[in-house]
Amino acid sequence: MLSPERLALPDYEYLAQRHVLTYMEDAVCQLLENKEDISQYGIARFFTEYFNSVCQGTHILFREFSFIQATPHNRASFLRAFWRCFRTVGKNGDLLTMKEYHCLLQLLCPDFPLELTQKAARIVLMDDAMDCLMSFSDFLFAFQIQFYYSEFLDSVAAIYQDLLSGKNPNTVIVPTSSSGQHRQRQVLGEASMEGVEASLFYQCLENLCDRHKYSCPPPALVKEVLSNVQRLTFYGFLVALSKHHGINQALGALPDKGDLMHGPSLDEELERLLVPRSPGLIQLGHASPEASWPAFPDPSRLAPLEALHHIPENDGSTEETDD
Amino acid sequence: MAVLPVPLPSAKMAAVEKRRAAMAPAANFTDSGRPLVSRAAAAAESEEDFLRQVGVTEMLRAALLKVLEARPEEPIAFLAHYFENMGLRSPANGGAGEPPGQLLLQQQRLGRALWHLRLAHHSQRTAFNNNVGVAYECLSASGRKKKPGLDGRTYGELLKRICRDGEAPEEVVAPLLRKIQCRDHEAVPLDVFRAGMLTCFVLLEFVARAGALFQLLEGPAVAVADRRVGQAVLDTLEGALQASDNSAAPACYLEAGSRLGPDSLALAMDRAMSGRRPSTPMTREEFLEKAAALFIAKVKPVG
Repeated sequence: MLSPERLALPDYEYLAQRHVLTYMEDAVCQLLENKEDISQYGIARFFTEYFNSVCQGTHILFREFSFIQATPHNRASFLRAFWRCFRTVGKNGDLLTMKEYHCLLQLLCPDFPLELTQKAARIVLMDDAMDCLMSFSDFLFAFQIQFYYSEFLDSVAAIYQDLLSGKNPNTVIVPTSSSGQHRQRQVLGEASMEGVEASLFYQCLENLCDRHKYSCPPPALVKEVLSNVQRLTFYGFLVALSKHHGINQALGALPDKGDLMHGPSLDEELERLLVPRSPGLIQLGHASPEASWPAFPDPSRLAPLEALHHIPENDGSTEETDD
Repeated sequence: MAVLPVPLPSAKMAAVEKRRAAMAPAANFTDSGRPLVSRAAAAAESEEDFLRQVGVTEMLRAALLKVLEARPEEPIAFLAHYFENMGLRSPANGGAGEPPGQLLLQQQRLGRALWHLRLAHHSQRTAFNNNVGVAYECLSASGRKKKPGLDGRTYGELLKRICRDGEAPEEVVAPLLRKIQCRDHEAVPLDVFRAGMLTCFVLLEFVARAGALFQLLEGPAVAVADRRVGQAVLDTLEGALQASDNSAAPACYLEAGSRLGPDSLALAMDRAMSGRRPSTPMTREEFLEKAAALFIAKVKPVG
């Protein structure tokens, strides 16, 4: 009923915590982009539609990347939109490459940076060649961690590198052995000696979570992930995060892995998602949903791979997918 | 959820420009048929003027003040409702231009008053009082023929609507309504209106909490509670409320608090369990009714 902390915060902090100004500013920008709409529907109606679409999470569709990543709510909304739009890929069991997933992302966000998709793919593929095929759910959960906790993971990577280089983990763990032996053992690829010590790593991460101003996964769950192993590598850690269903639940954007393909019929979902409710869609024209998709036909009527070939050609950054 | 930085005001215009730039590929992507408005460098200034002229600046300022006053848990949903209500209010956005009938107008006024009343929780007393004032004005400004002022009928209807939306059982709130209602043609002054609204909202919360309490008392899967335990809890509650009759304000809060503390409550429940024989179980409705009666007994009747 009441959360008193909210009432005790200074005004500016309350607004910042809930990103009220971010959305108000964006609402004004959208309004300026769509001046024709307000003469027709009125300003109050425009703002009603805008804030409703923010609540429903449809406000991020086809928006620029800087906006999509601006708030945790936007990130979660984008993840949900990506999942809902392209579930068919998973349902059909199609395996796609990193570049193909990147094209799917660009259908929803034209300037989505390739670097983020690459990082997500690296979590799935580890050190394998980057042109390997991935299943939809593997990619989706890896992408979720990478996209939602992007800033946190950057800090984690820096900590990991520090631990690797600053201290010599080998001598710490096995004080009796000489460095020569180590080199040999590492050449042999002994997995247990790879990476950093989990407990030490956790201490650093706990610190990081405390002072991190961006979203980070719940520290208790990070601890759980790290307490199961002695040592681990950076990508080993990311894989564990992406597969942890508690973290998925805490993030709240996607269902459990088992339920990814269930739920209301895909067509229904798509229909709901594509009804032009948000101001962003109003600008596409005031006609039916189909008419507002000039560059690619209604994806619900297409097999996903077919949809890939309808990627707008005029977008220079889009990768070729015909091979 | 953790905090992502909000762009500072100085970065605002830069952010706007960036958005513009980023929109360009999106525009290609959608259709070339849509006319792209050419944007000159002076656009920023004229945009500010434009926003002021069409009233966006003022509208957003008012909305932001409302948000800060009410501090809602979900400010974005709050804003959506806020603007939705505003859209309904102004006739320019109503679509059909016909004047609505008297009855419809009355319903609209009630809806609007309710909306104002719900903007802030009653514990945020300043915000709540402001909103009560606005709601009172909404209801008082009736049709052209009638004199301004709030009559007992409208006030009663509003009370009923609040109770119905609060999902409290009718028999539980009926005694309260009898106490604080006015006669249909009586004029309702602001202070009576305010006291009535506050009492009503507090009772609804009281009933909700009593419901939660009962849930703890009821046996698993039977949906009824042991009468002895239920009665013990009610008696303790009554004792705590009575304490406020005997002593001055701060002391009585402390005394009530100590009587309702977990230890003395547990003691009373334990005594009841061992002292009396089990009888017919107590239902949720009965518990709520009795708990509410304790509260309502404290309410001063109108007039």
